[in-house]
Amino acid sequence: MDLSIANFAQIIIACLLVIALMVGNAVVMVYVERKACGFIQRRPGPYEVGPRGILQAVCDSMKLLGKQIYVPGNIDWILYFLAPVLAFFPVLLLYLPIPFGRHLTAMNVDEGILLILAFSGLGVVSNILAGWASNNKYGILGAARAVSQAVAYEIPMIMALLAIVFLTGSLSLTEIVERQGSWPWQWNIVVQPLAFFIYLVSLVGETNRAPFDLPEAESELTAGFHTEYSGMGFALFFLSEYANMLLVSFVCAAFFLGGYKGPFMDGFWWMFIKAYAVMVFIVWIRWTFPRVRFDQLLNINWRWLLPLSILNLWVTAVIVRFI
Amino acid sequence: MNSLNFINPFGVSEDPGSYVGDFYTDNFAKGAGEGTLILNLGPQHPSTHGVLRVIVELEGEYVVRAEPVLGYLHRMHEKMAEVKTPWQYIPNMGRVDYLHPIAWNWAQVGACERLAGIEVPERAEYLRVVSCELNRISSHLMWWGAFVMDLGGVTPILYAFEEREKINDILQIVTGSRLTMSYFRFGGVSADVDDRFVRLTKEFVPYLRERLKMYKALVTDNVILRRRLEGVGPMDADLCRRHGATGPILRAAGLKRDTRTDAPYGVYHKFQYNVPTGPSDDCLGRYMLRLAEIEASLDIVEQAMGSLPPGPVRIDKAPKAGWKLPAGETYFAVEGARGQVGVHLVSDGGKNHYRVKLRAPGFSNLSLFAEAARGVLLADAIAILGSLDLVIPEVDR
Amino acid sequence: MIKAVVDNLKGLWSLVVGLSVTGRFFLSPQKTVHFPRDVVGPEILESFRGPLELVPADDQGGSKCISCQMCARACPGDCITVVKGDAGKAPKEYKYDFTLCCLCAACVESCPAGAIRFSHRVYMVARSREELRLDLLADLRERCGLEPAPAPAPADKTKAVA
Repeated sequence: MDLSIANFAQIIIACLLVIALMVGNAVVMVYVERKACGFIQRRPGPYEVGPRGILQAVCDSMKLLGKQIYVPGNIDWILYFLAPVLAFFPVLLLYLPIPFGRHLTAMNVDEGILLILAFSGLGVVSNILAGWASNNKYGILGAARAVSQAVAYEIPMIMALLAIVFLTGSLSLTEIVERQGSWPWQWNIVVQPLAFFIYLVSLVGETNRAPFDLPEAESELTAGFHTEYSGMGFALFFLSEYANMLLVSFVCAAFFLGGYKGPFMDGFWWMFIKAYAVMVFIVWIRWTFPRVRFDQLLNINWRWLLPLSILNLWVTAVIVRFI
Repeated sequence: MNSLNFINPFGVSEDPGSYVGDFYTDNFAKGAGEGTLILNLGPQHPSTHGVLRVIVELEGEYVVRAEPVLGYLHRMHEKMAEVKTPWQYIPNMGRVDYLHPIAWNWAQVGACERLAGIEVPERAEYLRVVSCELNRISSHLMWWGAFVMDLGGVTPILYAFEEREKINDILQIVTGSRLTMSYFRFGGVSADVDDRFVRLTKEFVPYLRERLKMYKALVTDNVILRRRLEGVGPMDADLCRRHGATGPILRAAGLKRDTRTDAPYGVYHKFQYNVPTGPSDDCLGRYMLRLAEIEASLDIVEQAMGSLPPGPVRIDKAPKAGWKLPAGETYFAVEGARGQVGVHLVSDGGKNHYRVKLRAPGFSNLSLFAEAARGVLLADAIAILGSLDLVIPEVDR
Repeated sequence: MIKAVVDNLKGLWSLVVGLSVTGRFFLSPQKTVHFPRDVVGPEILESFRGPLELVPADDQGGSKCISCQMCARACPGDCITVVKGDAGKAPKEYKYDFTLCCLCAACVESCPAGAIRFSHRVYMVARSREELRLDLLADLRERCGLEPAPAPAPADKTKAVA
């Protein structure tokens, strides 16, 4: 890849678009999540701000912007303020290799998925910093949970994705999407249902969503690693949570659900439809299940997902090699 | 503290060991082991249901010791009895335990009636049973939702509230309030039921039976919930006996102890209902038992509404507000949703009570927690706390 | 091993059942009563206990009250003050402090004349404690249409703080 001015400009524009997408996504998801939660609980959800409460998310973000940032005593100042920023910015990078069309990629790198997996690990650094720096016992417990959970769930996630990579023979997301067809039976989910299931479970674990939301388990740790954050500090964590969710949903769509390809007309809208379908599913399970316990969370991973994903990978490798 | 940090922005606490907690924490910290973390759960914590405070000593995520600290919601109900006439004390009873106020009504009114030798008309006795059992169901439903919320499932509590609202609608017809009911009067109840009450109650019983199937599908059978609860926080009969636990906790431990059958009061002896025991003494056992109790209560309500005798709901010349209790001493206990609710009443024949002692089941049940939570994970400790079905106003009184 | 696998598959099925339950509720109609646009039925409010009100004896704003003080004496919260009138039994003043009232009906049940009852005013709003200290005689006259409803006092912030 040549680093010409045009290329550089392309990346800058892409970054701006990605920021816009992240903020827009958070606004949409706040509304979707609260509405879905409301409907599941047989109540209307946000209703009063704007028609049917559409402006609720805007009001929420205004409130977060306007709130006093309450800083607890005896904190580590640098790390305390670095953590939310660290949670937010690596996500920008992760969006670059996501393909929204055959040529609609911010940065078409050949090792796209490698880039995503490598940098998504940075998210947990911000969690541990936040928990550690805020001088709060709940925060420390939450941070400790976040680390072991992230470490655990990254492995089956990679294994599951690796099975697709074996099938395709490429690490580039564009290439992986190109190898799938437009119709659902031509997607990778049909070939690799087990990998899809493993990915779906570890996706929930990786993004710290219920029922695997142990780092911020409300009834145990009040708010876990971000207990002491208010105002924009909290907003950045919030934003990065939704951004991470969208990212893993995009990856899921690209790897298993045919990416930007879809019936009738290919295009980026299919990517969004599929990713948001995955997100709605994540929201749905959040409002249905109780939370697992921490040792169970790790047991699910180490005793079931990991062996299954290795088995799946091995079978895939054998089939790819000999058939 | 904050301004100091602005001057010294890189300052982490210079001597973290210098932090001094309050009396309870300091006292608790004396027994702490090496390398453990002392954590205050509460008084403001999402899963302590109000203002219970539990100090726990954590080793990693394991609870080494736990100690509940009470008194954040102490409202001197017992002392208030000494400046109130028996009649004026009835509304207090609705506030002691806001989830099962009718049982407390019954305990207080029953104690006064026993002391004064007042007979209650039969229809009133039936209505007492119906209202008490409906209230027990609503209390258990509330517990069900709150317990699942402690375990991280937020939605079920809103489904439980749907049923609770129906019960509140029914009980509001006769009691006039939806939460802190004071329905009982000396020698009867305050109001007779109307057609709407009868109709709604008869509709409610099959409706809730139908809904309980949904509860089973959504929560009880859920694998996450089962694995969270199975084998967690066993409280055997011996532990219960040592701490004076009553109610569902004791019955889950396998002992068939229920004030309704052991020391019958009212007209409970006229109904066929089963007092569930078991199936196990862990959190799951207590969970299953309370759901079984909802069904048993539904049976009682159904029978009582089916055979409601005609007649007055209050004796003639029922005691008025200024009524004086005869001198004497008595104890009256009823079965509340959380266990045995007792009122020990002493009167010197004056206008007000001489002394009232309220036996709150939650207080005894909470004392099991310290022992049951030893060596479990923090998340399990929360589950155990939830399975005790604590109502903090009742514990602190 | 096989048992564990079967157990886990059953567990996964229970999760699917749970999802179907919430999914069904997602699609079924809501239970919320949207308050300002929609209110609960009158039959629910019939038994609702709002603040006390005097029972009108006639349509001239007269009450049945005989100033016997039974209600004031029965009240556990001391929230009723009745001042006997100069002539006859009718009260000169009937003050009722809703902030102290626990809605126990001790006053209603002890009233020999049946002069007080609970209103069903569920949508009552007050901006200050003062507004909850009610004058029941004025309230009665107002209900008879003899006295115009008093304009709500403008919220005077400086006063409230001081």
